[in-house]
Amino acid sequence: MKNFTYFRPTTAEQAVALLENRWGNTELLAGGTDLHDLQKEYVAQPSRVVSVTGIGALAGIRVDEKQATIGAGTKLAAIAEHADLRRHFPSLCEAASDIGGPQIRNMGTLGGNLCQRNRCWYFRDEHTPCLLKGGQRCYALDGENKYHAIFTQGRQCVIVNPSTLAPALIALGAGVNILGPKGRRSTDLAKFFFSPANANDREHTLAANEMVLEVTIPVRNWANASYEVRQKLSYDWPLVQAAVAFQGGRNGAKATGVRIVLGHVAPTPHIAEAAMKALEGRDITDANATAAGRAAAEGAKPLSQNAYKIRLVEVAVKRALLMAAGMKRYWEM
Amino acid sequence: MPWPTTRRVIGTKVQRLDGPDKATGRARYSFDINLPGMLHARILRCPHAHARIKNIDSGAAEKTNGFRALHIIANAGVQLFFAGAEIVAVAADTEEHADDCLHAIRIDYEVLPHFVKEADALRAPDGPSTVPGGTPNVRPGGDFSTAKFDDVAYEGTAPRVEGTYGVAIISHQCLESHGLVAQWDNDLANLTVYASTQAVPLTAQALAQNFKLPVTRVKCITNYMGGGFGSKFGPDIQGIVAAELARKARAPVKLMLDRAEEVAVGGQRPSAAGTVRIAGTKEGDIRAYEVDCYGSPGVGGGATVNLGFLPYVYSVPNIKRRHRFVRLNLQTGRAMRAPGHPQNCLLTDQAVDDLAASLGLNPIILRTRNLPQNDQNAVQNDPTSFPALRHTIYTRQLEIIRKLCSWDDRWHPPGRGDGVIKTGLGMALHTWGGGGGPPNPTRVTVSSDGSVLVQSSTQDLGTACRTVPAIITADILGLRPQDITVQIGDSTFGPSTPSGGSTTCPGISPAILKAAEAARDALFAAIAPGLNAQAADLSIDTGHVINRANNNARIPWRNACGRLGMNTAIGNGDWPTNAQFQQNPDLRREWRGRLTNNGVGGVQVAEVKVDTETGVVRCTRFWAVQDCGLIINKLACESQVAGGVIMGVNYALFEECIYDRVTGRMLNPDMEFYKLGGIRDMPDIMVHMMDMPERGVIGIGEPPTISTAAAVGNAVFNAIGVRVPQAPFTPERVLAALANGRKRN
Ligand SMILES: Cc1cc2nc3c(=O)[nH]c(=O)nc-3n(C[C@H](O)[C@H](O)[C@H](O)COP(=O)(O)OP(=O)(O)OC[C@H]3O[C@@H](n4cnc5c(N)ncnc54)[C@H](O)[C@@H]3O)c2cc1C
Ligand code: SF4
Repeated sequence: MKNFTYFRPTTAEQAVALLENRWGNTELLAGGTDLHDLQKEYVAQPSRVVSVTGIGALAGIRVDEKQATIGAGTKLAAIAEHADLRRHFPSLCEAASDIGGPQIRNMGTLGGNLCQRNRCWYFRDEHTPCLLKGGQRCYALDGENKYHAIFTQGRQCVIVNPSTLAPALIALGAGVNILGPKGRRSTDLAKFFFSPANANDREHTLAANEMVLEVTIPVRNWANASYEVRQKLSYDWPLVQAAVAFQGGRNGAKATGVRIVLGHVAPTPHIAEAAMKALEGRDITDANATAAGRAAAEGAKPLSQNAYKIRLVEVAVKRALLMAAGMKRYWEM
Repeated sequence: MPWPTTRRVIGTKVQRLDGPDKATGRARYSFDINLPGMLHARILRCPHAHARIKNIDSGAAEKTNGFRALHIIANAGVQLFFAGAEIVAVAADTEEHADDCLHAIRIDYEVLPHFVKEADALRAPDGPSTVPGGTPNVRPGGDFSTAKFDDVAYEGTAPRVEGTYGVAIISHQCLESHGLVAQWDNDLANLTVYASTQAVPLTAQALAQNFKLPVTRVKCITNYMGGGFGSKFGPDIQGIVAAELARKARAPVKLMLDRAEEVAVGGQRPSAAGTVRIAGTKEGDIRAYEVDCYGSPGVGGGATVNLGFLPYVYSVPNIKRRHRFVRLNLQTGRAMRAPGHPQNCLLTDQAVDDLAASLGLNPIILRTRNLPQNDQNAVQNDPTSFPALRHTIYTRQLEIIRKLCSWDDRWHPPGRGDGVIKTGLGMALHTWGGGGGPPNPTRVTVSSDGSVLVQSSTQDLGTACRTVPAIITADILGLRPQDITVQIGDSTFGPSTPSGGSTTCPGISPAILKAAEAARDALFAAIAPGLNAQAADLSIDTGHVINRANNNARIPWRNACGRLGMNTAIGNGDWPTNAQFQQNPDLRREWRGRLTNNGVGGVQVAEVKVDTETGVVRCTRFWAVQDCGLIINKLACESQVAGGVIMGVNYALFEECIYDRVTGRMLNPDMEFYKLGGIRDMPDIMVHMMDMPERGVIGIGEPPTISTAAAVGNAVFNAIGVRVPQAPFTPERVLAALANGRKRN
């Protein structure tokens, strides 16, 4: 690991003041479950590291009648276990409790989860100079790409965004509060993510001298669920994830305001517009959920080794919808 | 010197002596050894799958913070044949500084062509050689045919069944990585290493040879060891390099591989794949087995399957086999827990189930009909040997497992059942050797305070071998295992069997028995005169010495030992030499027929649930029936079997080394995308140990992992009614097989 100078400010303003306006030389550090990994592999080589762990105000969960606010420094384990969050947003808490293993959930934070780098194995190999490391080509395009994107149109880099909290949060209509040198700004989480193409890009739209303060979620009694197709139950990544949220939809009521967001299929969380349209104003039946799943997979352009993910999208969407509607989980073993 | 017929401790369930130390972290593995002033070493490795070193410039490394010593492993001009090959090693004051030093070294390479995928090399039989010596990458690995195969094999059989079956290269993934801590004394005359090794004395010997030292001046210590599985039989390059650097820096040096190195260069199990044709009569007698297979042992030329044993276990009259080695620019394959056997089992037992399906037979019936017969010659001359008993053992095991797993209720014809989640049951059989041998000198010392010490240089890889000397000695001396102090893992105690081939327990056990009996006899001889008795009047009962010469007086153990005064009672035990065995067949029969033996059988059944919408497979239950002769520690045996099953379930469902065609590097040298099941991914495991004390001690390290993957493969087939040809049975492969199945129907 390249040696670095370590800063541990106690306010977010101090932290932001320590950042630079270009990526690479200075990095924010939260739980370190991702950044330290990249440093040890010499993929990230910051000479300055700004820890947010000294900023007490950054961690914490508040839930009132209108909205939930989760600080960027909140641990994944705290999100998974929070009773009020679980009552309103089972999709988020389920997603949080499925992440990695206990060690990762006890160290990893919400801010780190949303801003984590992608898991492409070429990206994480020190010796492979792919696009995101200033190189000339994407090695995954015709290499080993079974875990890569299937919605690849117009993308030079075919990573999948790794966060499983992001699809759940986007489906719930979450917003994100950001602090930069000029003060605070807010944006929809749906607009937060980015499809990177070179070494100056990140998987999100933050400027290098900005940081995430908190995420807000409207409380509105919507049905919601997240379903992940996982090969293993412990310490693994999903192959495909579907997060859904809608109003009504239970006990024969029509579903409205339907949101369906896919994870691990595209460089950003993928909003499945066609599926959302297909289901809008309908009731959640097996047939309608199946149709929505098909619509969600439409337009996929898989790579050489990941066409199987199309089928997984169909299934994950169907199952997430049935779960949210409180129907029988016919797939439980 | 037979095994006691009434056994107080032997064969019971004994918790391992070091369990609490391991569970609490008190046990210090070689990786945990930190010596005062110790340096950390790291190795610079070739990032290319095939390259020639043009130039090495290490000047900047020597000026890097913390630098202490450098050792060139491969010089300019040397050709390297896989990504990960060692070039330069550096020792520095911290691990991070050592890494920085490596990054300051500049190496120019001439990059050469490589192959890292079997299919690519097979497609280019006349392509450039990319392996040492310029020999072809694809080479014949032997072929064989029984007489007139093509004429007679399929006479009178039902239509033959053809299938392909493959399995990936996997890594040993030792939890404690390879490596050691090396420490020289001040005048560089004596070397001590704390090594993670399966062969303590051998490691000391290899280092002595390398540094031209008398072997008496090299000491290898392995107190606790975090797994080897066949990949840790000597100091390896990194061990020698650590000692070199320690000598140069005149300070102790630790060099343990990191996870990526452990996976990429710490050992691999060769892949195997083949097309099998199998045919039988409609009653279910297998008549013909043909296999055309290949596999990759990496850049080395070692075996991939155990060709002579194909078809595996079953007795088939007509056999034809062909094998090719596909040498690739990958680390050389190393022995891994029953080398060749799991691959053989996959190439046989999965075909047997496909045949059963095509004949419409229950696979347990087919298996029962085609078991190898007991060898009549062996029955006469070697009645406890495996050839004399194999039919008896397998038949009995099939009966046991049939009841244990309720086969008759649970099994259904392949692919039957509605619903999205389909359940299946699959079975497979295996065999292994596991015989011990000389030398294993062991010493038992009884002190006048009643304490007992057993010393042997053997090592405990995590198997519970440390508890074996305590169990046997306690049994002979009427004590409890926890009363015995065991010292192992120290090369100065003399030679011992390297822990390979499941030979450790059968290797050390009779030597311990002999030493314990000798110590007992020495004690009796020393104290008899003071008790007005002959040594022959004394005997052992739990916690006591009994004196027949004095009305069977019961003398508490400590009091009896107290009579030793300033002395100790020492017993030494070892095997006869191989020369003695040759001269004396009775001696051989005693040691290799009654005290120990060679050859075991085992049967396993897996239950899986397959999600037919996602292709996800979960192994939910597992049953294993295993023979290992005389059981020393039933608890440890069951634990060995469970461990073997866990390893096999991983082999079947998760593990695969994935290499990039272009860069030639491994993409998943980790525990993230190199998938290893956690406890939630493992089945409930039911183990039944078959106790056959008359056979003597036989090893059990390897056999219980052999048939697991094939049993899982058969269970998946039974669940969904189509064969998934390639292991691991990942969601995308299961979905592809299901789609193919639908196309065919
Ligand atoms: C085996 C394994 C399985 C995993 N499975 C999953 C999974 O299923 N789903 C999933 O979502 N994740 C998964 N993870 C990833 C895990 O969730 C992340 O590593 C973790 O959330 C990162 O949080 P951290 O606080 O440790 O981040 P750090 O490592 O500290 O930081 C990560 C990145 O975020 C930036 N950052 C941190 N905080 C802020 C902030 N407040 N503002 C702006 N930038 C910030 C840092 O600069 C850095 O670039 C898995 C990880 C592993 C190793
Ligand atoms: S997918 Fe992106 S990160 Fe991976 S190799 Fe291609 S460009 Fe690099």
